[in-house]
Amino acid sequence: MNKQHSKLPGINRRQFIQAIAALSASWPIAGMASLEPLGVSHIETYKNLSDPWLTIASVQEHLFPAGDSSSQPSPGAKDIAALRFLRNMLEAPDTESEEKSFILNGVTWLNDLSLKNHQEKFINLSPENKETVLRQIETSNAGDRWLSLIMGYLIEGLLSDPVYGGNKDQLGWKWLEHIPGFPTPSVDKVYFKLGAHASPKRRTKA
Amino acid sequence: MSKDYDVCVIGSGAGAGPVISELAKAGKSVLVLEKGPWLKEEDFFKDEMACCRRSTYTPNLEDEQHVIEEETDNGNWLSEATSESGWDFWNGNVVGGASNFMSGYFYRLKPEDFRLRTEFGDIKGANIADWPISYEDMEPYYAKAETEIGISGQVIPHKYQEPRSTKDFPFPPTSEHPIVKNIDKACDALNLTSLTTPRAVLSRPHKGRESCEYSGYCGSYGCHSGAKGSSRAALLDDAVATGHCDIRDNSKVYKLKSDQHGKVTEALYFDVNDKPQSVSAKQFVVACHAIETSRLLFASNGPKHPNGLGNNYQQLGKNLLFSGGGSGTGEFHYSKMDQLTASAMKTRGPFVNRGLQDWYFFNDKAFGGKAKGGVIDFLLRHPNPISKASSARYNDDDNLNWGQPLKRDLKTVFTGSQDLRFEVFNDWLPTDNCFVSLDNSVKDKWGSAVAKVRVGYHEHDLKVGAFLADKAETVLKQMGADNIRSSVSGSPPVNLVAGGCRFGDDIKTSVLDADCRVHDVDNLYVTDGSFMPTGGSVPYTWTIYANSFRVADIIKQRV
Repeated sequence: MNKQHSKLPGINRRQFIQAIAALSASWPIAGMASLEPLGVSHIETYKNLSDPWLTIASVQEHLFPAGDSSSQPSPGAKDIAALRFLRNMLEAPDTESEEKSFILNGVTWLNDLSLKNHQEKFINLSPENKETVLRQIETSNAGDRWLSLIMGYLIEGLLSDPVYGGNKDQLGWKWLEHIPGFPTPSVDKVYFKLGAHASPKRRTKA
Repeated sequence: MSKDYDVCVIGSGAGAGPVISELAKAGKSVLVLEKGPWLKEEDFFKDEMACCRRSTYTPNLEDEQHVIEEETDNGNWLSEATSESGWDFWNGNVVGGASNFMSGYFYRLKPEDFRLRTEFGDIKGANIADWPISYEDMEPYYAKAETEIGISGQVIPHKYQEPRSTKDFPFPPTSEHPIVKNIDKACDALNLTSLTTPRAVLSRPHKGRESCEYSGYCGSYGCHSGAKGSSRAALLDDAVATGHCDIRDNSKVYKLKSDQHGKVTEALYFDVNDKPQSVSAKQFVVACHAIETSRLLFASNGPKHPNGLGNNYQQLGKNLLFSGGGSGTGEFHYSKMDQLTASAMKTRGPFVNRGLQDWYFFNDKAFGGKAKGGVIDFLLRHPNPISKASSARYNDDDNLNWGQPLKRDLKTVFTGSQDLRFEVFNDWLPTDNCFVSLDNSVKDKWGSAVAKVRVGYHEHDLKVGAFLADKAETVLKQMGADNIRSSVSGSPPVNLVAGGCRFGDDIKTSVLDADCRVHDVDNLYVTDGSFMPTGGSVPYTWTIYANSFRVADIIKQRV
């Protein structure tokens, strides 16, 4: 039956959104590349990257690196197109704009800290220094939330249906020997084109 | 004065479907007003993002929400809006309601559940009441639901088997997972009766619906084949085909207007463009989810009902029920199996379909002798991968897990074991601390006060839940599971809600009469789970379907 006790322990969503909105306000708005509105993109997103995406891609690869201790292939963030998934989701009509700004502005914050402590931008740090900086920002509430969001989207990008732009070639599913259910969604039936998101009144608002 | 329709039904889920289809099939004109959109088989996919990660079938909490009142450690009641807490109380706001997304574990109540107070007496702090009807009154409709909804199963004689008018289920059990053999073996050794769980999922095609495709993703997902006995697939499609039933989706009813005699005259609603509309009918039926039904009646004040329809004796919204109990897990590690067994255990698709009712009633000194227990159901851990991965989210130091340690943990979670879970269902005793009212400070996007829900529980529920969870753990132990654990809490499962408009013979202690008509409103019926004075210790859906078939027969005589 899957009894649903879905209360999030200790998280007050409203306070969270307000907190990140307040933080975002003090930072310059990073450039937001707009993908197809109300759609999902499957274009290559790793070519000619510039910030904030360059830094985010580097953070993702550090958090989810390719390879593991086994001899089996083990995909990393780039292999599964984690960045493409994130960009698609940040453009999804139900993603709150505060969350999007917070994620993108966190890049400035991360690079400021990298420059201050290691005199290099994040992408140029050694793996050890990347780890140090990320664990350091994790100790602040805002940093912990930023990393939680990045990780949350990363895991979704690893294991959601490839239609959303991540889990490229089903590499996430294959790596974890996951058997998906069928049928899988087509591009015109992704979640934000159905149900609550697709009612005519929502469409006119969007 | 002519009316637009014979019957206007608010809501389209399990409580509404039987009334809609029975009346339409009898040639009555029926209008269905459903708040959500009309999704069909071709809109349902095995997409975890749609079913479980985003609000696809439920409203955005900023637009429509609840206010939940919880008891704090010092005994005060603290209320918090769900847009603040993120605690989503919606189930399925689409045509067919939450029945689209159920797992379809279907149980009848037992005859004793209809007279719990007589059988087991009062429990201090609980408002236990006998039902105004008996199991014998309901039985023909339980049987009817088996064929109309399509319930698969197999009758296995046991000491608490409820009486049946038909010998066996009209559909054989759905396919079963290989782990079932191990459950049966363990139960045999423990001298327990392993029972086949009846399921509202077709094991054979029926009336234009396909049989189950066994994708292994059922609960929380809309059904693509039509095998799941949702109100939409099993009832509404046929009702529309009669030509007597109109379904208006995206139509949110905000008030029932009543006249100086207390009779309902019109349903007022916002259409898909948020434009106010009204419709008249001879009879009105409300079945839009236990909490929302009480909310609508509260909002529907009139000359004879200044505090809301059915609330002249302050009974409306009272004695709300969830489901008591909890859940547990045991792990079966592939490394301890030979390759053939491991490969069988990894099977994805067939159902586990096993449960225990050995302690539906029991005798125990700690409970003062004869006591009411409940059911235990076994199931595999839900296959949703994103949700499964969340167990690797934090490392042992409570920091975010990433890098190689995360990859190692994910590999273990996904490829190390098959996890068998159990769920315990026992009565959620009705109390003065579990009820619905209106919160006038929080409004939905149309400006109506939202429902405020106090979610207190009775300590007795935890005691029974823990008793049953212990018993369930013995089965996992017997099976040789590792890392067995369970938890029982008073946290309300939001997908198992009933009560709020209990039926009874006395207007001073109930909202509805035995026919599920509001006592002092001639033409208003409530047919969702709201009517239940006590919930029994099983999921409610079969009883809701059966009761709606019963009330349909009553309304048929009146239009």
